[in-house]
This record gives sequence, structure tokens and C-alpha cells, in this order.
Amino acid sequence: MAMEVKVATFRDIFQYEAGRKGMHSEEYLQLSAQIIMDKEDLTNLGVKDGGRVLAENEIGSVVLVARTSADKAHPGVAFMIESPWSHQLEDDERCKQGALGFRGISAKVSPSQDNVTELSEIVQRLKE
Amino acid sequence: MTDYNYRSCTGCALICEDILYPDKLAVPQARNLCRKGQAHYQSLFADRTKPMIEGRDASLDKAIARAAEILKDARSPLIYGWSNSSSEAQAVGIDLAERIGATVDDPSTYCEGLFMEMVLAGKVPSCTLDDVRNFADTSIFWGSDPSSSQPRHLSRFSYFPRGSKRQKSYEEERTCIVVDVRESPTARLCPDTTYRIGPGEDVQFLEAMLNVLEGKIPKFGDKKKMIELGSILKKTEYGVIFPGKGMLQSLQGKMELFMDLMARLNEVTTFKAIPVAGGFNTRGFNQLLLDRTGFVKSVSFQHDNGEVLHRSEDTLAGAAKRADALLALGSDPLAELPVGVARALAKVPMVAIDSCRSITSDAALVVIPSAITGLEAGGTAIRTDGMKVSLEPIMKTDRLAEEQILTRIMEAM
Repeated sequence: MAMEVKVATFRDIFQYEAGRKGMHSEEYLQLSAQIIMDKEDLTNLGVKDGGRVLAENEIGSVVLVARTSADKAHPGVAFMIESPWSHQLEDDERCKQGALGFRGISAKVSPSQDNVTELSEIVQRLKE
Repeated sequence: MTDYNYRSCTGCALICEDILYPDKLAVPQARNLCRKGQAHYQSLFADRTKPMIEGRDASLDKAIARAAEILKDARSPLIYGWSNSSSEAQAVGIDLAERIGATVDDPSTYCEGLFMEMVLAGKVPSCTLDDVRNFADTSIFWGSDPSSSQPRHLSRFSYFPRGSKRQKSYEEERTCIVVDVRESPTARLCPDTTYRIGPGEDVQFLEAMLNVLEGKIPKFGDKKKMIELGSILKKTEYGVIFPGKGMLQSLQGKMELFMDLMARLNEVTTFKAIPVAGGFNTRGFNQLLLDRTGFVKSVSFQHDNGEVLHRSEDTLAGAAKRADALLALGSDPLAELPVGVARALAKVPMVAIDSCRSITSDAALVVIPSAITGLEAGGTAIRTDGMKVSLEPIMKTDRLAEEQILTRIMEAM
């Protein structure tokens, strides 16, 4: 089971604080490597709050912890705190001047049994 | 008894000037800091950088000499960062860029750069945050969430304070409107005047605003709620829009629509717009670069028969992929840029000038430790609304300020 979502990113003050203390900390990992999804979308995926999902597109992929959104229903739209994890899915040409408007990151989300992607793995990928 | 001195906080682009740091530094005793400011202050005690070459400890002199060598030998160096540096460091950095024929860019290239360009060019009416506190009765946070990015925005300027013309403040006289794709912490303050839209639907929302201002039935969103928004806008005496990254990215290529909206609003009443800058001195960098080159971001300096030419770059991605050396100035490009750009930069020799360890400093060929601007080093900066602010250090340090490091790199060339 997999579903297509539009991912919107945002800044979070608690994650910022955790990052200032140390980006390799458990707290920073927990706040960054998560995807917040609509309750019904998660149910349809068969994933519970705290379960792991693979988010992937033609740019890259990351394993994240799925969290249930407390917002009003927003089917097909997921949220991620801006971080090296969200940047793994981001197209670097999207802000080209005169380009069409940005409409969120398109990604496919599916249940995963793999471990959450660690920051060290992301750094390693950058060097390859 | 502990003595306190008022100083500025460089934790965000509001640069709050009412911070009380104790003479004897200890985290719990700093007063008036928001959560973000407190985190910034805690950087003093975090994992600090030290001079390194190829992952090994080195003397500062050797690290500076090696950095100079890398940058001098590069044919297409990129200097990225700037937005968390003092105006003085930015000026020296641009001198360096001119000298070595570098491309310069900052995080605003992905966020508020285009909008900042419109404000600095006078294409959009703007005002100061002090004007907002004194006069504004309607504040629209569109794709921005100041509770997270500029945490004292609402309490110092836009919603809660009693300004000279707004003595009844948020209880009676101020309206806070949020347009966002999610229920942000700011949106939770004003659920009745929060407008949820989908990713990329800002254009449709903007057109619906124009419709209701013209008395037409909007084709987008909850019609009743949009008509209510029209009523609020028409009754507004002094309104301010604070566009954030969400809105600005969505409107890329269609920014003229925002100018149309501002023009229409100002036919009805007074409306201004103020950028919600990311780094504490993002606006300072955009302004300085504009003064020096005519562009606010993404500029390449090139030498031609002894003359320094500059041209605007289309994208940071293009500059990053052409780069054969990187100087990261008080920033962490490997952590904050899209993977394609970060991957390109990770493959070239990197020099990191930073106060604290980061993903970029960990991967850099050369690390040069710097003082934290506003805490350990002084200077000036431009607040998000264009006000110049003096920065006084709160403590002495052996670490060099960024402009001193950049000057020494140039001397070493």
C-alpha cells in the first residue's frame, strides 16, 4: 500500500532549539525525521501514529516516523519540519527565477520496517 | 546582586534590543529572551568549532593560510551564508568575492529574496515594525508563522502591544489574520480568521481577495468566510502583510499579482508589507549587495581586463554545480539546502567559518572558528523592516570576528 502526497515544509522553534544544542542529538533526530499526516491517510496506509514510513520521489528517499496531524482534515497533504530529511526530497531547481509556483513536494509514502534514516547516513549520501 | 546590561539578540531578524544579559554569564539568568533567543544564547555553551585542516587540529594561522590557498586557487568559488553575519563582515566578504571572482548567495535565494528585492526597489509599500506597533489594526501572516520564526513579533509589534494609536490592542483594535497550509502556532491564536489553503493555492486565494475587494463573489475557498475577509480588509485603517516562505515560493513567477493586490488594497485603505527574514541580517546582506551590484542575491563577480564585473545568477543550484570551492560563512549549506545542491557542494574543497559545529564544518577541509556575532562580537545589522541596529558583544573572547577572519584570509593571499 502506498499513497501520493504533497509535502509542505515548515519551521519549528523546538527543532531549531534542538539543532542549536547539537544536530546529532536524539532530540533533533526525533523532531526532524518525522512526517505529519492526515489521520485518515495514515489509516488507509495501515500505519499507526509512531509507525515508520518510506517517503520517496525521483529526488531521494528517507524513512521517517509517521505522526497523526492534530489539524482539521487535510487528505493528501503531509507536513515535514524543514531539515536535512525534508531536503532529501526537494528539487534544487524549484526556486529558479520565473519558474512556476511551488506546489509542495510530491512524494510517495508507504509503510516501512526499516530504521529511521540517520543524519550520518544523509551526510554519507552527500559525499557519494 | 547581579548587574545586567541591555543588549541585542541576534537569534532572529527582529534583533530585540531589550535583552538583559548578566555580567556573570549563566543561561538561566538572561532575561527577555524568547525560546529562539535562548537557544541562540545557549550556542555559547554548545559544541564550538576549533581550527582544523582535513579533520585534524591545526593552528589558526595555518587554517587561515590554507583557506586562502584554496580560495585563491579556485576558478569558480562560491561564498554562501551571509545572513547571520554583521554588515561589516558582509562588506569585507564582498571585497573578498570581488578579489577572487566568486559567486555570492544566501538562504534568501530560496525564500524571501524576490520579495525583498521588491521592497528595496520601492515596488511594494513598506513600513517599520514600530509603525506596526503604533498604527496597525490588521496584520496578515501569509505563509509565515512568527510564533516559530520571529517569536516576539506578536508581543512586541503586531498583535498584543498597546501602540500610540492602538491602546485597546488585540482586545478590540487589532485583528490577526493567518493564511497557511497548516494550523501553525500563530494560526491557533486566531482560529476565526485563519484561512487554510492547499500547497500552491496562494494564487487562487489572492485572486479571491481581489474579487471580494471588488464586491464580486469569490470563486475560491469558503465564500462566506472570504466575504467576511473582504469586510475586514475594507474596514482596516492600517494593514500590514507579512509574507513568508510558503506564500513567496508559491507566487514565484507571479509576484506582479502581489503588487496588484497591494495597489488594490491601497485604493481602499492603507496597506504595507514587511518581509519575514530568516537570518538576523538577511536584509542587511540584500541591501548591501543591491548597493554594490544592483542585485539583491545570487551575484557572480568576474575579472575582465582589470575590471570587476558582476552578473546575476539564475539559481543557486547552477552556481553550486559550477563551484570548485566553497566558503561557508556562518551557515550550514549541507544541512539547509536541497539534496542536489548540498551534494554538489560536498564534493568540492570547503572552508567553514563558523562559531559552532555543523554538518558543513564536520565535512569541511578547513574550519576556522569565529566569534558569535551579537554575543562575542559587535557590529551593525539591518532588522527585517530596514532599521539599522548596533550590536555590542556581551563578553570578551579570543575568537576572531568574521570580518577579522575574512581580512586575514585576504592578507594571506
